[in-house]
Formats: sequence, C-alpha cells, structure tokens
Amino acid sequence: MNSRHVGPAHGAHEGGHARRIPRADTLSSRLTVAAVAGILGILAVGQLRGQSGAPGLAALSATDLSQLIANLTTGNDQLRAEVTDLEGQQGQLQDARDRGETAVGSLTSDLARIRAWAGLAAVTGQGIAIVVRGPIGGDGVEDLLNELRNAGAEAISVDGTRIVTGVVVAGAPGALSVENDAIGDTFEIRAIGSPQILTGTLTRTGGVIAQLGATYPDAQLTVTPVEQQTLPATDRPLVPTHGKPEL
Amino acid sequence: MTAIVARFRGLPSVQVTLAVALLVLGFLVAAQVAGEKPRAQYTTQERAPLIQTVIDLQAQQEAFKAKILELRQKIGDLEAQDPGAAASLRQLYADLEDARLAAGLIAITGPGLAFRLQDGTPGAGVDSLVSAQDVRILVRELWLAGAEGISINGERVATTSAVIDIGGSVLVNSAYLAPPYEIRAVGPPDLYDRLRSSVAFADFVQGRIERNGMSLSVAELASVDLKAYAGTVNLRYAAPAASGQP
Repeated sequence: MNSRHVGPAHGAHEGGHARRIPRADTLSSRLTVAAVAGILGILAVGQLRGQSGAPGLAALSATDLSQLIANLTTGNDQLRAEVTDLEGQQGQLQDARDRGETAVGSLTSDLARIRAWAGLAAVTGQGIAIVVRGPIGGDGVEDLLNELRNAGAEAISVDGTRIVTGVVVAGAPGALSVENDAIGDTFEIRAIGSPQILTGTLTRTGGVIAQLGATYPDAQLTVTPVEQQTLPATDRPLVPTHGKPEL
Repeated sequence: MTAIVARFRGLPSVQVTLAVALLVLGFLVAAQVAGEKPRAQYTTQERAPLIQTVIDLQAQQEAFKAKILELRQKIGDLEAQDPGAAASLRQLYADLEDARLAAGLIAITGPGLAFRLQDGTPGAGVDSLVSAQDVRILVRELWLAGAEGISINGERVATTSAVIDIGGSVLVNSAYLAPPYEIRAVGPPDLYDRLRSSVAFADFVQGRIERNGMSLSVAELASVDLKAYAGTVNLRYAAPAASGQP
C-alpha cells in the first residue's frame, strides 16, 4: 500500500523492510511539512507585524532605537500632562455648568495660554540669546530654529520678529529676510526655554552650531543664557482664510 | 498533456503539499529580505526588546493624542452649549475658537496640495534616502508660497514642531514617521503656481530630488483635510507677558 509514497531507490536498498520503510518515510515527510509550516507561520506573523506595527523600525540601529525611546518617553510625559490639564479644564467647565455658572477664569487663562503658545501674545521667561555675526544663509538659520524647537524652545524670535507657523527666515548669506524685513549680517535670535538644555543642545560637539561653523566659516554664533526676556507677539494673521474648520 | 496530468496525479499528496509550502516559504523569505532594503539591517540581540518598547510607547502616544483631541472637542462643545452666555462671554468663546484655529488645534479643510516624497531606488546610497532636511525644505517652501496649514504623515506642523532625523526616518512632534512622506498643505487656490515660481523650490527638485533619484509627486486638490495638532500647549518656561509689554 505504501509503495507509491516511496521512491524506488529506497525500496531497492532496504530490501526486506519494504513495509516498514514507507512508514518511516511518511513520518519524516510529515515532520518536514510540519517544520516548514512552522517556519511559514513565524515568517508570516513577522511580515504582518513588520508591515502594520512598526514601519521602518527594523532598519534602525540600537542607538537610533534608544534615541527614539528617549524622544517618545519625553513626548509621552508632555502628552500625559496635557491630558491631565484638559481633564481639569473640562471638569471645571462641567462643574460650573452644573451650578448654572460660567468658568470665566478658566476660559480666560486657557485663552491666554493658547495665544501665548501660538505666538499671538507676547511672552516672557528665561532662555537664551544667540548673536549671529557674519554672513549666514536662510537654510542655516532655519536649521538653528529647528534645533531650538527640538530642544524644547517654547517661543522664538529672530531680529525682533516672533517665529510662528508660516514665518520663514530665507535668503542667501548677506541677503536674509524675515516677514519681508531685511536682516543685517549681525542679528539676534532669542528663545524661551531651559537655558541649560537649549545651550547644551546647540553647542554640543557635532551639534548645529558646529555644523553651521563648517558651512559658514565667516559667521560667528555666540550663545548666552538669559534669566528674563520678553518676546513680542506676531503681527501675522494666523487664522486660516482658505481653510475652514472641519465639521 | 494527459501524461503530465497523470504523472501529477500519481505524486504523493505529501510531496505536493511540501512543494507548495516550500514555494510559499520562498516567497515569504524573498518578501522579508526585499522589505528590509534599501535601509540597513541590524541583527544584534538587544534590538528586539528595544523595538517592542518603541511599539508600546507609540501605542501609548496614539492613545494620549486621541484622548487630547477628544477632551478638546468636549471642552469646545461645553463652551458652545452655554445657553445663557452674555455677549461678553460669547466674545470670549469666539476668541478661544480663533486662537485654537490659529494655533492649529482644530482640524481644517480647504483647497491645497498633497505631496508624496519617497526614497530613491534601493541600493542607490544614503543620498537617495529622504532626510528630515528634505522634509523641512518642502515645508518651508510651502509656507513661503502662502500655505495656511501643513501636515506630515498626518502630524500637523505647529509653531513648536521640529522635524529631525532618526536613523533613516524622521520624528515630527515626537511621532516616528517612516517614508514615504505625505506632506499636505491648505492654502490659496494658486498655491502650486506660487510654489513653482520659487527658485529655491526648483533648485530643491532638480538639485536634490532628481539628482539623487528620489521621487516627489504632487496632486492639486479642491479639498485637503488637515488633522488638528494633538500635542501639548502647556508652557513651562514662558508666561504671557503683562499687558503693555511688547
């Protein structure tokens, strides 16, 4: 009955064990199929997980992953604090409403906070001042601003102009402008945030200031911690006119 | 033909199963290998728990962001439903709505552009990979062309948003984004014309994208949806300046 499951060569070599050999061969075939099916399952799961859960993570080194974990952890801490804050705000509004009152104080402070964060109101606080002397390109200044945001700057100004969404420092070295105002070869960037973190991030070995020094060797950047400074509000209208709130 | 069919029928079912399984195995191995290119692979043992930690933190981040958007919506609804609001209070609610719109805390829809920025062909080298700098240049050019709102793979670009490299991918608002990057912008109907007239944009397309084999495609759309910024607006170091200050 098993002869067709076994190759003729096997049958010939094993002679009188013709009835037992096919059984052994069937068993090994089944084991092989089971092993292949197992590998298939593992690969299929790996493929699905790789595609759905973590696109690109497989390409990151252990160092990159550690950096990503640090970023995500910090970001999640901030998000957790925001959730707590919003829950408190919602509770105040609900309580006031239940009592037939209005939480004017809560609304006013929320408005002030959002306007300050968005750049619609002047803000004050500690931070750093960066004096730039010498020709530098708009790309270089934008790299610097990006690094300041990455280091947690809460408000930034360039040559007295508040940097908000839509405001870009552009132009070739010696021909910089911000919001259509020309900037000279010497100007000041101010940022509010932790002076230690901002200074450390900018001035670390291989950091953005070192990179700018290599790209723009004639430019000098000096970073100074500041205990108290005030950054102006933006003049730019930020409420969209072409974009409408989604209903 | 009949002989082939007969021979096939004569094959043991185990062999057929094994052959099919091996074929599928081959495809899966090839897909797995192809999926890893062109970015480098690392096989050290310590990566598995790190990747799992990242996945857990990303899930946590998504949950926080969803909660933030839900709470902001509820707060907005509570404000809007205040039936006995005096005129002064209604003005306060309107100011809040404007401030949230200006800050990007409300999802918007409007005419605009949708870009898709992709890595170059596999094996073409590190210069063919889209970097944070590339994304920033495109965002910058869109602002200069008059965009009112921008998102990168669904992450709304806000006043505190940084775009930084992490390995071969980017982080925006602390969210890990992998290529291809879809950059959406809402703005005036002639946004693309304005963009195309920019010398810096033309240099970017010709000198960076085309030269390194990357791909940048664009669609002009009558309606582009931008999600709300779901990050924090808490200020730790900055405080609203007293009135009278600049």
